[in-house]
Amino acid sequence: MNGTDGHELALRADGLWFAYREADWVLNDVCLSVPRGKITIIMGPSGTGKTTLLKILAGILTPARGQVEIFDHRITNEPQRAISSLIGYVPQQLGLVRNLTALENVLMGALGRCGNGKVLFGLFPGHEVEKAKAALELMGIGHKADEKVFHLSGGERQRVAIARTLLQHPRVVIADEFVSDLDMSLAIEILGRIRRAAEQEQLTFVMSMHRQGLVREFAENVLTMREGKVVPGFRPVILQEPASAEMKR
Amino acid sequence: MKSNLVVTLIVAVLLGLVLNEVGFFDSGRLIRGLRNLGILTSDMIPPDFTVLPVASRALWETILMSFAGTMLGFLASLPISIIATRNLFSPPFSRFARFVAAAIRTIPVLLWAIIFVILFGLGPLAGTFGIAAYTVGYLAKIYADLFEGTDPEILEAVGSTGASKLHLVRFVFLPEGANAILTQLLFMLEYNIRASSILGFVGAGGLGFVMQVYLQTLEYRRLASVLLLILVVVLAMDSLSALIRKRFLLTAQ
Repeated sequence: MNGTDGHELALRADGLWFAYREADWVLNDVCLSVPRGKITIIMGPSGTGKTTLLKILAGILTPARGQVEIFDHRITNEPQRAISSLIGYVPQQLGLVRNLTALENVLMGALGRCGNGKVLFGLFPGHEVEKAKAALELMGIGHKADEKVFHLSGGERQRVAIARTLLQHPRVVIADEFVSDLDMSLAIEILGRIRRAAEQEQLTFVMSMHRQGLVREFAENVLTMREGKVVPGFRPVILQEPASAEMKR
Repeated sequence: MKSNLVVTLIVAVLLGLVLNEVGFFDSGRLIRGLRNLGILTSDMIPPDFTVLPVASRALWETILMSFAGTMLGFLASLPISIIATRNLFSPPFSRFARFVAAAIRTIPVLLWAIIFVILFGLGPLAGTFGIAAYTVGYLAKIYADLFEGTDPEILEAVGSTGASKLHLVRFVFLPEGANAILTQLLFMLEYNIRASSILGFVGAGGLGFVMQVYLQTLEYRRLASVLLLILVVVLAMDSLSALIRKRFLLTAQ
């Protein structure tokens, strides 16, 4: 799957339409393509349908019309178990289970590969546990593996959520505004770890984000949403504010 | 504001009519009742504690019945409540499970006890099943509503890892609901200890039989010591459940 400029594409969406209420279109005819192994950031004012778009790209919502392809697999209308090796999803509030430990939350990334046997008694295969611990180490919170998520700070929770998605071994990770609640230096550190993961594992990231400083620093490809449409092509938006100014705050 | 006033007025008038219907405004009867209350109280004082050995044995049976019945009912309520969860199972299944829970709940615990006395004969086994049945009907409904309130974002996130329905139950619904599950279970156990003291009235074992004998033979001083004994157990149960909740529930540090 290749884009018009010869880049290899990880994800392509064609003519997506979506409405929560009859004919009240949140997305109208959205088309976009995402290059492989890069960090793509979707910007745009709130209420323009970014979350809806990301949920469709992740296969959680089904569009009224149009389809999504990830590495030449059509994912629209596919059951999530069938596409979990292609896409990982990190929601805005992270979707962690607070009453379980960090390690248990990360291990949920392996559920798509596990049956309904021992796992239901909390017994995950040894190699999955090792990989889960390694993912926590990669995110810099290996020492908090046995803490309940309830007792973790906001930044630590973000890392657990990413580690869970890494354990899933998807080829594309979709994340919704997930560093928005963090202070700048923490957000930079976490995005740095994501960039390293993207390079190491040839992962493709699609994220929505509104902080221009972070977008300028980390985005390798920027798309903009306006009134339920994505501004076409790989054209980066013109950033008003220099990255350094916001980072100093 | 105006409609609130109208509703309040309508409820007040209805309440007045109903109270009149049951004889609440019959002052003669009320005064007679108060006088009888005085007599009954003085008949109960001082409590006769010589019956404590007999009553304690019966009470122990009541506690065992309540514990066994509550746990059996709890275990049976989990699968029903999970099938009744509408964001996990489609309407034919969830509706059927909700119907089952409602049907079980319709029959009061005393009637369940009578049914099981007919089935299994006199004694604590019938009481245990009666309590279990009532517990299933109650907990299945509470838990199903609890599971349906689970944060949809967690379900989306864990669902997108390719988790199966059973995985979601084990790793999302149960741990997310753990606090409320435990709280309701402890409440149910305490409720059942109180409620089951009456089951002996119909021969389903426990303290009720002793109470019935003292009532019928007008031994109110002995009855008083039995009631005090129940009070002690309920208070003990209260502190025990507070202790368990403190130990197991998530609280901010």
